[in-house]
Amino acid sequence: MASSSSGLTFKLHPLVIVNISDHHTRVKSQSQPPTPGAGDATSSSSSAPRVFGCVIGVQKARTVEIFNSFELLYDPSTRSLDRSFLEKKQELYKKVFPNFYILGWYSTGADAEESDMHIHKALMDINENPVYVLLNPLINHAQKDLPVTIYESEMHVIDGIPQLIFVRSSYTIETVEAERISVDHVAHLKPSDGGSAATQLAAHLTGIHSAIKMLNSRIRVLHHYLNAMQKGEIPCDHSLLRQVSSLLRRLPAIESEKFQDDFLMEYNDTLLISYLAMFTDCTSTMNDLVDKINIAYDRHSRKGGRTAFI
Amino acid sequence: MNVNSVDSLVTEIQGLSGSSQDLAHLNNRLKQSEDVIRSQAATFATCLTRIDPSIHSLGYLYILEACTAGAVPEAQANELIISVVRFIDVCSVEQILLVPDKFISVCKRLHEQVMKLGAPMRAVGPLLMAIRKIQTSPEHLTPLHPDFLQVCLSAKCYKVGYGVLEDDICEVDQPRDFFLYCYYGGMICIGQKCYAKALELFHNVVTAPMSTMNAIAVEAYKKYILVSLIHLRQFSTTFPKYTSSVAQRNLKNFSQPYIELANSYSTGNISELKAFVEANQEKFENGNNLGLVKQVVSSMYKRNIQRLTQTYLTLSLQDIANTAEISTPKEAEMHVLQMIEDGEIYAAINQKDGMVRFLEDPEQYKTCEMIERIDSSIQRIMKLSKKLTTMDESMSCDPLYLSKVRERQRYDLHDFDDVPQRFNL
Repeated sequence: MASSSSGLTFKLHPLVIVNISDHHTRVKSQSQPPTPGAGDATSSSSSAPRVFGCVIGVQKARTVEIFNSFELLYDPSTRSLDRSFLEKKQELYKKVFPNFYILGWYSTGADAEESDMHIHKALMDINENPVYVLLNPLINHAQKDLPVTIYESEMHVIDGIPQLIFVRSSYTIETVEAERISVDHVAHLKPSDGGSAATQLAAHLTGIHSAIKMLNSRIRVLHHYLNAMQKGEIPCDHSLLRQVSSLLRRLPAIESEKFQDDFLMEYNDTLLISYLAMFTDCTSTMNDLVDKINIAYDRHSRKGGRTAFI
Repeated sequence: MNVNSVDSLVTEIQGLSGSSQDLAHLNNRLKQSEDVIRSQAATFATCLTRIDPSIHSLGYLYILEACTAGAVPEAQANELIISVVRFIDVCSVEQILLVPDKFISVCKRLHEQVMKLGAPMRAVGPLLMAIRKIQTSPEHLTPLHPDFLQVCLSAKCYKVGYGVLEDDICEVDQPRDFFLYCYYGGMICIGQKCYAKALELFHNVVTAPMSTMNAIAVEAYKKYILVSLIHLRQFSTTFPKYTSSVAQRNLKNFSQPYIELANSYSTGNISELKAFVEANQEKFENGNNLGLVKQVVSSMYKRNIQRLTQTYLTLSLQDIANTAEISTPKEAEMHVLQMIEDGEIYAAINQKDGMVRFLEDPEQYKTCEMIERIDSSIQRIMKLSKKLTTMDESMSCDPLYLSKVRERQRYDLHDFDDVPQRFNL
C-alpha cells in the first residue's frame, strides 16, 4: 500500500481503539464456539466475524481528530452498512456533540480487502473523503506498535483505469485526562479468577517492580547526562537544566515532622509484618523438622497413636 | 624412616615441611613411626629445641604429643606448659589441620596441667587461640570449647568466655562437648548477669537429644529452674516437644527441692519462700546453688512489683511496700528505681506525694534506628530460614525416618501423601 499524500494529520483517541476492540471481543465471545475438531489456530481466528462501525470526530483545516465511534450492522447480501440506522445514530450524536461529524468507518481484520472499497464508496456521500480504521485482532507478541492502521482513499491510475485504492496514513494518539485514567485502568486489569490472593499480590508487585525499574533507569540516564555536563564533556543546555530542576523541586511533596513520624511508623509497621510472616514460616518449618526427628530418632515416642502430621 | 637417631628425625622434618605434598608425605611417615616416637619420648624431647614450631608445626606436634602422652612429673609441668603455650601461639594452621586430634589432645593436656597447678589464668589466652585455629567455621564446636570455658570459670575471666559464647553453634563433634559447653556457658552468663543467654544455654542442655540420663543435664536442669525464676519470674514444668523422652521422664525426679521452690515462688509470698529456703539450705548448698537461690529470693520483690503494674495505673509507695511485703516505703522506692533503670518497668515516681505512676512502653517505632534493627533481624531470620529448610529436606530423605514413616503407613494411608509411593514394598 502506498502511503497517503493528502497531507492530512490524523489524531486517534484511545476511546476509539477500546470501542472497536470491545465490539470485536463481544461479538466473538457471543458467536458459536468453534467445533472440537478444529485444532488449527488459524481456522478459529478466521471464523471470528468481522465487525463494522462508524467513526466520528472533528476536522479542522488539515487535522482530523477521531474522537468516538459507534457500531453498525453489516448486511452481507447487499454488502453495505445499514443506512437508516446510521442516520438515526448520527442525529442522536449530533444532539449531544454538535461539533462531531462522521469521518469514516472501522472494521477488524488483518488487511484491507476489496469488498471494503464498496462500503467506502457508499460512505462517500456523507463525507467526501472518509477514513477507514482497521484493527487487527490477532495478537502478535513480536509487534510492538498498536495493530491499528488508518487508510484513506485516493484516485490512482492502474492499468489505464482510474481506480480508488486504499493508502495508508500515519497517525498519532491523542489523549484527554479522562481517557488516560481509563486506559490506565484497562492496562492494570488483573485476571479476576487469578487464583489466590497470592498470585494477585504477585502480579501487583511485579507491575510496581517494573515501573520502579523503568523509573530508575531513566533517572540513571539523566544522572549520567548531568554528570557529563558537569565535567564539561557535553555543552550546557540551560533549558534542559531548568526542566531537571523543576522535576527535582516536585519531590518531596511534604517535609514536615508529622509526615516524617507517620511515614516512619508505617514503614516500620510493614517491616514488622514481613518479619512476623518470616517468623511464622520459620516456626512452621521447625515444627515439621522436630516432628520428623522425633519420629526417626526417639525410641520411646508414642506408639500406635498418630501424631499431627501437617 | 630411621627414627632411631634424633638427628635423622630432625633432618627429615626440616626437609619435608615445605609444600603441601611434602607435608602429606611427612604426615604419613610420622604416622608410621608414631609408636617409636612415643616409646622414646624423652630422647626426642631434645629435638624440640632444634625445630621451629612455626615452620615445622607438624613434626613439632607429633613429638609434643608423644611427650605429653605419658604422665608428666611435677618438675617438668611448668616447662611443658610454657612450650605448649608457645607452640599454640606460633603454629601454622594448615599443618595443624592435618592431624587435628593430636592438637586437641595436646591442648587437653595443657588444660589438665594448668588445673593441677592451680593457675587456670595461664591457659585462657592460649586455649582461645587454639580454638580459633582449629575451628573450621565460627559455627563449629570443637572439643576445646568446654575446656576453655571451664578454665575461664576457674580463672573468673567471664568476659573472655562470654565473647566465645556469642557465636551460634551449628556443627558439633561430640555430644558430650555440647552438653559441657552449654552448661559452662550458662554459668559464665550468670557470672556476667546475662540471664537471658544463660536461660537459652541451659534450655539447650535440658532439651538436647540424649539416650540415657546424664549428670550434666541434671545439674543444668536445677540451674535452669533457678535462672528461669530469676529472669522470667515464672517457671513451667512442661517440657517442649523436642525434649527427649528420657529427659522428660527422669529429670524431675532428680530436682525435687527446686521444683518445690518454684511452686512456692509462684504463690508470691516472700516470707514463705524465705522459710522454705532456710529449711532446705543444705540441699541447695550441696548443689552449689545457694548463691542463685538467694538471687531468686531477691527477685521475688521485682516479681511482685511487676504484677502490680498489670493491675494499677498509680499506686502509692506505702501500698507497694505493703503488697510486695517490703519493709519500708523507702526501700520500695529503691526497688522501683532500680527496676526503672534496668528497663524492666516503665514508671514515674513523684517524690512529693510518694505516688508511682505506671506508664506504657514509650517505644513508638518511628525512628530510623528501629528500621535498622528490624532490617538486621529480618536478615538474620532469612539466613536461619534457609538453614532450617535444608535441614528439613535432608531429614525427609533420611532412611531411618522414611522406614519409620512406612511403618506408620499401615495405620493410615491417606495422611502421608508426601511420602513417595514408589518406595512402598
